[in-house]
Amino acid sequence: MEHLIAGFANVLTPATLIWVAIGVGLGYTLGAMPGLGKATGVAIAIPLTFYLEPVVAIATLIGIAKGSTAGSAVSAILLNTPGEPSSAATALDGYPLARQGKAQKALKMALFASVIGDFLATLLLIALAAPLAAYALLIGPVELCAILFFSLTFIGGLAGGSMIKGLIAGALGVFFATVGLELETFIPRMTFGALELDEGISLIPMAIGMLAVAEMAVQAGKMRELDSAAAGIADGSDPDDRRVTSSDWRRCLPAIGRGTAIGSVVGILPGLGASVGSFFSYGVTQRLSKTPEAYGTGMLEGVAASESADNAVVPSSFVPLFALGIPGSVVAAILIAALIMHGLTPGPRMFTQQPQMVADIYAAMLAASLIMLGIGLVGQKFFALVIRVPMRLIIPVVLFLCCIGAYMDSNSIFSIYVMLFFAVLGYFSRKLGFSFVTFLIGFVIGPNLELTFRQSLQILNHDPTRLAGHPVAVAFLVLTVLTVVGIAFSNSRRAVRESLAARAATSNPRKLEEEPR
Amino acid sequence: MTDIPKRHALQVMLAATLGLAMAGLTPAAGWADETYPTRPITLLIGYAAGGQTDLVGRGVARVLSNELGVPVNVVNRPGSGGLVATQVLQRAQPDGYTVLLQGHSVINADPFLVAQADFKPDDFEYAGMITAFQLSLATQKDAPFDTIAEFVEWARDNPGFTYGSLSPLARLYMEEIAEAEGLQANILPLQGGGDMINALLGRQVVLAWSGGIHYRYPDELKSIATTTTYQRTTLILPKGTPRPILERLSDALATAQDDEDFKRVTDSADVPIFYMNLDEAAEEVRHSYAANMEIFEAAGIESR
Repeated sequence: MEHLIAGFANVLTPATLIWVAIGVGLGYTLGAMPGLGKATGVAIAIPLTFYLEPVVAIATLIGIAKGSTAGSAVSAILLNTPGEPSSAATALDGYPLARQGKAQKALKMALFASVIGDFLATLLLIALAAPLAAYALLIGPVELCAILFFSLTFIGGLAGGSMIKGLIAGALGVFFATVGLELETFIPRMTFGALELDEGISLIPMAIGMLAVAEMAVQAGKMRELDSAAAGIADGSDPDDRRVTSSDWRRCLPAIGRGTAIGSVVGILPGLGASVGSFFSYGVTQRLSKTPEAYGTGMLEGVAASESADNAVVPSSFVPLFALGIPGSVVAAILIAALIMHGLTPGPRMFTQQPQMVADIYAAMLAASLIMLGIGLVGQKFFALVIRVPMRLIIPVVLFLCCIGAYMDSNSIFSIYVMLFFAVLGYFSRKLGFSFVTFLIGFVIGPNLELTFRQSLQILNHDPTRLAGHPVAVAFLVLTVLTVVGIAFSNSRRAVRESLAARAATSNPRKLEEEPR
Repeated sequence: MTDIPKRHALQVMLAATLGLAMAGLTPAAGWADETYPTRPITLLIGYAAGGQTDLVGRGVARVLSNELGVPVNVVNRPGSGGLVATQVLQRAQPDGYTVLLQGHSVINADPFLVAQADFKPDDFEYAGMITAFQLSLATQKDAPFDTIAEFVEWARDNPGFTYGSLSPLARLYMEEIAEAEGLQANILPLQGGGDMINALLGRQVVLAWSGGIHYRYPDELKSIATTTTYQRTTLILPKGTPRPILERLSDALATAQDDEDFKRVTDSADVPIFYMNLDEAAEEVRHSYAANMEIFEAAGIESR
């Protein structure tokens, strides 16, 4: 606690706050633009933060993640095109509100719900991560190997429509992680003599290629449709249509509370994603309502429920990352690279070794929530204009930033080749329905999976019956099998339900991409 | 909101500038040395967080940061007992913004053991040494042996025991003992002292070489043998780093000797502070490299 107070003292300086504000503002802008999500924003921005102090850099990146999650509501409400899939539920009632001339009211409620959800979930992260980390030290290589195996299967099964494709993508991710020097013998593997590959494939150019460049290629393919989707929306004449009244607050607060709780739980479980959180929260609020039939015609509670859950997922998805070093989402996976690069190794030891730095990051995260409120209120008119920028102007700017970001990772042109390679892979994984989420998480946990597996073989003396001495590992292996069987059964049903939800969420031609959580 | 394309173009530019501002604020690599350092320094550690080298490294990072006035970020690049980090350093820009803190066995011993690691003393620059530590064979307090001889007796009756290895050298020690005495050992690769402590406390290994971090657990762990030679924690830089930068780092490192906090850190792992400046450090690396070459050749140990 004393660390947290000192953390606020460290963070509440003009320089830090300006960078956090830039991060949130950038995120909000990116989120508002269709196709540019939080993962994209964070991936491009990591190399740009090399020159900042660690806490400032991490806070800026987390600000981008938070800002873009909130910003995606802007295009959902104004264009009926969610900036990110997780705001699809926001569009269900937000767009009808905008058509009724209540765009400003909907935008403001979306922002308030986002900020509240985000702030409370950050408090939850602070409360949960350190105690969980204390238990993590009881876990040895055998147990860790089983847990990693379980998370990968779980994520592979949930991300995207097909479990087989999800698992294939995850396995490919692990495969690409094996490129480079073998850690025990120092022998290069699959580098084909390229010295640049000795240190392995770098996550940043890979993530920029898979997430940003590939997405821009997809967006370029439907540029016309997106440009023509922009439609003028007039504000209503009643001043109450432009602000959130106290009666609106009374109606929406329970929805926000539920949304925050649902989003937090969904965030902690790996692989579920912000879309699941926002749709689940929207569904619960609708079911509890006295007038469920009115949803979809412009209910403010719907916007509040969806956005609060959507934003609560982001901080709570850092709980497994901070406590155990296991990334539960793409943003968390990309943040691992940033944290390590800035001298903080996520995992249980982080709390004992650098309590002050962790507390500083917590303080910066809380500050980012409040800054988001300010930036959102001031900037909503501006962001409303930004989303109308034609795609043909956005795409070249983003591609330019991608190249800079990839190049800065190693100061070598090789990184740009890596980026292009994975851009092609990312493009086809989108077109063919392979989950790049699972791929990236597989890539990030790959080295640890390999190491713990090898350690397990040594500890068990190559004798599977010795597993009996590791009940935790056995439990997770059983869970893995159960998950595979369970998801295989429910996957076909889920695919049908999701395609229905996607059709309801977007009446315009933009296809709902799978969840890049 | 009417559609005015020119205004929109401006807004995109504005959004892009926000991003570029981050890039634009940064000085180019290889900036003039008189002003060194002007931006954060990356301090590589060749082990995972939580071990003796990591502990000392974080202490050194704090001292350097205070002296030089820029953040010094500790970045763990575990693998092959520091060889991976050494290779990363070797290929880094020689601008003083990437440095490695590592026991000098990575240069004076590992190249004789690992064929792929062809490092020589002259492939690097040195900015000083700060601590000298001995390796100890650590085990659980209640282990049924107190000396190497008793361990070998015990190991004969317990084939398939697990031994934790942090480096090529640690692996070599056990392989030589096992071959000479006919023992059957499972060698568990570990990425750092933190992992080693967990493996010892969690009874996943019966024995491991420790750089001193196990002294923090006097109630749970004990040493059964200690090497007579010292490893020196050395601040290593890429070949071609300008001498003024090395001097600046060497002077900053020297202040760690009188730093109360740093002393507290090293005491906790029973590591004596033993400072050497840049020239003494370079001489020590060369001298010990030549001495080890004779030893390994005489013993007929070949790198692989």
